Amino acid sequence: MSTAANPRSWIASWRQRLWRIAPADPGVVVLRHRRIYILPTRRGLALIATLAIMLLTSMNYSLSLGHALTFLVAGLVASALLQTYRNLAGIAASPLAAGEAFAGGQVAFTLSLANAGAARQAIVVTSRSGGSVSVDLPATATRQVQLTVPAPRRGRLALGRVTLSTDFPLGLWRGWAYVHFPVTGIVYPAPESPAPHLPPGLQGSDFRRSARAADAELAGLRDYHPGDPLNRIAWKAVARGAGWYTKQFEGTGGSGTLEFHWAELPPGFDTEARLSRLAAWILAAEREARAFGLTLPGVDLPAGSGAGHRRAALCALALFPPERAP
Amino acid sequence: MIFAPSPATPLSRWQLAWLAALVVLAQVPLWTHLRLWIVIAGSGLVALRIALPADRPPPARLRRWLLPLLALAVALSIRWDFGYFLARDPCVAFLYVLVGIKFVEAKSPRDGGLLVCLALFLALTQFFYGQSIASAAIALPAVLVLGGALATLRDTSAATNEWKAPLAATARMLLQGIPLAALLFVVFPRLAGPLWGAPADAGAHSGLSDRMAPGAISELSLSDTVAFRVDFNGPPPPPAQRYWRGPVLSRFDGFEWSMLPWVGRGALAPPGARAIEYTVTLEPHNRSWLFALEHPRSLPRPAEDDPFASPGPVRDIAVLTYDQQLLATAPVTQAIRYTQRSTLADSFAARGDADRRDNLQLPRRNPRTIEFARELKSRAISDRAYIAAVLDWFRKESFTYTLAPPLLEGDTVDAFLFDTRRGFCEHYAGAFVVLLRAAGIPARVVTGYQGGEINPNGGYMIVRDSDAHAWAEALIAGTWQRFDPTAAVAPSRVERGLGAALPQGEPVPYLARLDMTWLKSLRLHWDAVNYQWQRGVVGFNLERQRDLLRDFGLSGARPWQVVALVAAVAFAWGLAILGFARARHARSDPAVALWSRLCRRLGRAGLPRRTDEGPLAYARRAASRWPQWSELLQRIGETYAALRYGPDDGARDQRIAALRKSIAALPRGRTMRS
Repeated sequence: MSTAANPRSWIASWRQRLWRIAPADPGVVVLRHRRIYILPTRRGLALIATLAIMLLTSMNYSLSLGHALTFLVAGLVASALLQTYRNLAGIAASPLAAGEAFAGGQVAFTLSLANAGAARQAIVVTSRSGGSVSVDLPATATRQVQLTVPAPRRGRLALGRVTLSTDFPLGLWRGWAYVHFPVTGIVYPAPESPAPHLPPGLQGSDFRRSARAADAELAGLRDYHPGDPLNRIAWKAVARGAGWYTKQFEGTGGSGTLEFHWAELPPGFDTEARLSRLAAWILAAEREARAFGLTLPGVDLPAGSGAGHRRAALCALALFPPERAP
Repeated sequence: MIFAPSPATPLSRWQLAWLAALVVLAQVPLWTHLRLWIVIAGSGLVALRIALPADRPPPARLRRWLLPLLALAVALSIRWDFGYFLARDPCVAFLYVLVGIKFVEAKSPRDGGLLVCLALFLALTQFFYGQSIASAAIALPAVLVLGGALATLRDTSAATNEWKAPLAATARMLLQGIPLAALLFVVFPRLAGPLWGAPADAGAHSGLSDRMAPGAISELSLSDTVAFRVDFNGPPPPPAQRYWRGPVLSRFDGFEWSMLPWVGRGALAPPGARAIEYTVTLEPHNRSWLFALEHPRSLPRPAEDDPFASPGPVRDIAVLTYDQQLLATAPVTQAIRYTQRSTLADSFAARGDADRRDNLQLPRRNPRTIEFARELKSRAISDRAYIAAVLDWFRKESFTYTLAPPLLEGDTVDAFLFDTRRGFCEHYAGAFVVLLRAAGIPARVVTGYQGGEINPNGGYMIVRDSDAHAWAEALIAGTWQRFDPTAAVAPSRVERGLGAALPQGEPVPYLARLDMTWLKSLRLHWDAVNYQWQRGVVGFNLERQRDLLRDFGLSGARPWQVVALVAAVAFAWGLAILGFARARHARSDPAVALWSRLCRRLGRAGLPRRTDEGPLAYARRAASRWPQWSELLQRIGETYAALRYGPDDGARDQRIAALRKSIAALPRGRTMRS
């Protein structure tokens, strides 16, 4: 059965063609007349209405020069329409890079606009949820445009539909075209704040054991952070009414390899809280230049360090639970 | 989907300067047509805003309260000054001041957009008062500045004070738009009459009037304004027979002559040996009379180059009245062009007794004149002898023909004939008719134009207001006979025009003088240009449009066909403009043009360049596809890459030549496809 015979798919294909709802654009999109829309701006509408009144006046009073003036300005308006079209047509847009961010931040997407023709001015690139950037494209030049999109939640963040628009040269017409690339940025879980202390790290040991082994060498107390293990809270101080403190032990700030285990986080934590804690730990480990491993249900990242390792770990957190590989 | 620029940004000083230029260009042409206080108020506000510290809009309280109150006050003042408001002139005056108020008030680019629209409309209103070449020339820079102002308003971020580039860009777009504008100008349907009744108040009456008091025509004679122009189909008549008949004045109240109300239709002159055909282009005078040489043999018809080509009945544009005046069916509010036939004659047959009764009426005044007439009549053997005696008396007595007669009071005819004896044609014609009526001979005053000047540049005749004239008609034995008492006093007035007839030192209008100075010759050249302008542009009305469409074979076209034609032309126009822009860009860099030609050729041969592919990669791919030309293709790719991305080492021209040679060395597309 052909697509044209099915009204629903026919409607869907038209919706896609008109509004580019699905991220179905191939790597490079050259803006052509099938994609470019042009409507008058508010100022353009006001001017066209003025021209209509001028025409009526000229007709009523048989003003030949009135007709001439009206049509001359109408020719200018029509010519501006062509210039607006020309300003957009032929631009080749392609996605270059998608950035990463922590939830609550902004993901930066980079697009490339290539101009094979004459100079273009004031091309405004707008993402659906984010801000807009205005860029001039000299003749046969390529420019990169960075769009930032707010990232409220962890996970994948699609750039969404991007609008390229212009009201060059006279602001009477606005031409625009939609491009919808299948690009997504990665949003890491927001790190827990204030940052929790790192778990004690021991070579080849897991979290629980390392905590127990360190019991003997109490180093002091520090302020309690929600989520600190129950067995390390200074209960005596709590009973005295002196406030909440956590016991600190010798060796927790050392330079050993850290192991971050999903299962050894406080049981009262829900998934997001665990991911936040882990993200904060990863950042802390990175700050202290310590190697760390990460174990999540379905993910096992061996110990390592460096930007690539950190990114892999944060991505695992962002995309948790791991997508089933097909 | 309406794109609204953020309203928060205030107008920059530069945007304000553009708007000021636009507003001033729209206001200046109206200065001479508006009351002084309106000009001062409207332009003063603009000057005030410019003088105010820039970049700082006037305080909010001023904007919110004072300016609306000012607008209201201006509206009320205009209403009080004119006595009415909802008419053309008061509305233009109000708009004039309103643009000034809006300019003071303008704060954001959005206000600026509104101001642009108001100023554009104001620029149109100058055509109410004149459609000369000069007013068109003034409107053109206004349109250019309009484009510049719009471009500057759009670019809220630009702080550059670059003024040439927006003007040049606008000029380019205007040039591009001219074909479309010209097409619309030609085919857009023109109306035969107004859409609503407003033009009734259009403009002041000019030219002759329907009444004649002493001094009326001499005042008119001081003007060089063109009344109408005539193209003769054949040789023009001799000067002494150029009597252009206008309003016929039969009523006299002792001081002023006036027209009779409608008395019925008259009869056309019979065809005769001295028939003459001509086309009159009449300037609008807002009255209903048309002018024809004495005496009309046909009713005027809308001028057409070939009367037989237009099928269907010809619409009458005028009627001939009982006293042989041509009255148009509507006041002449725009220039019209009509073809007219006349039989040159100084008499025509009267039609019945009504004429007699209407043209003997005389108020009981001017006793000396009546006494004189009766005495003279008693000595004359016939009406004709009496009239000859009167003319002879004018000739012999010391009458002076002058544009500056003394003021007459009381029994004006008595005072003129026996005391002052200095007068212009209306004095002579009026007094002559009174003398005839007093003697029982029906007579009346005829006004119109006498004479006309042939413009050597173009071969048409110009009749000016300075040719305005008044003469007399007497009913003798059932025939209305023309008499021109002015000719008895100053024969050269009829033979050679006003300039010859007036004594030295009289203020003759410049163009009515006889000496052909270079300046006058220049003025005549200029008039020829103006005449073409009037005919071709300003006078482009329904009739001319029909003529033109018929010339293009479009007279039978249905409206939808015309609309389809315009749409098709507009579409072709758009493609042409865009194609031109692309071609011009390609010309700008020969390397790019050559490279894209190669890409098109290879694409047709089955290997289109991918948009993400650079020249080297594409050339490599092409080389592997066509190994027999691989060296050539690789060289093309390298040369182009060096041209576009390599350093400028002065070998550019050689490289381009090499590129052209290499591409030309490739076989044609068909060979490559196989």
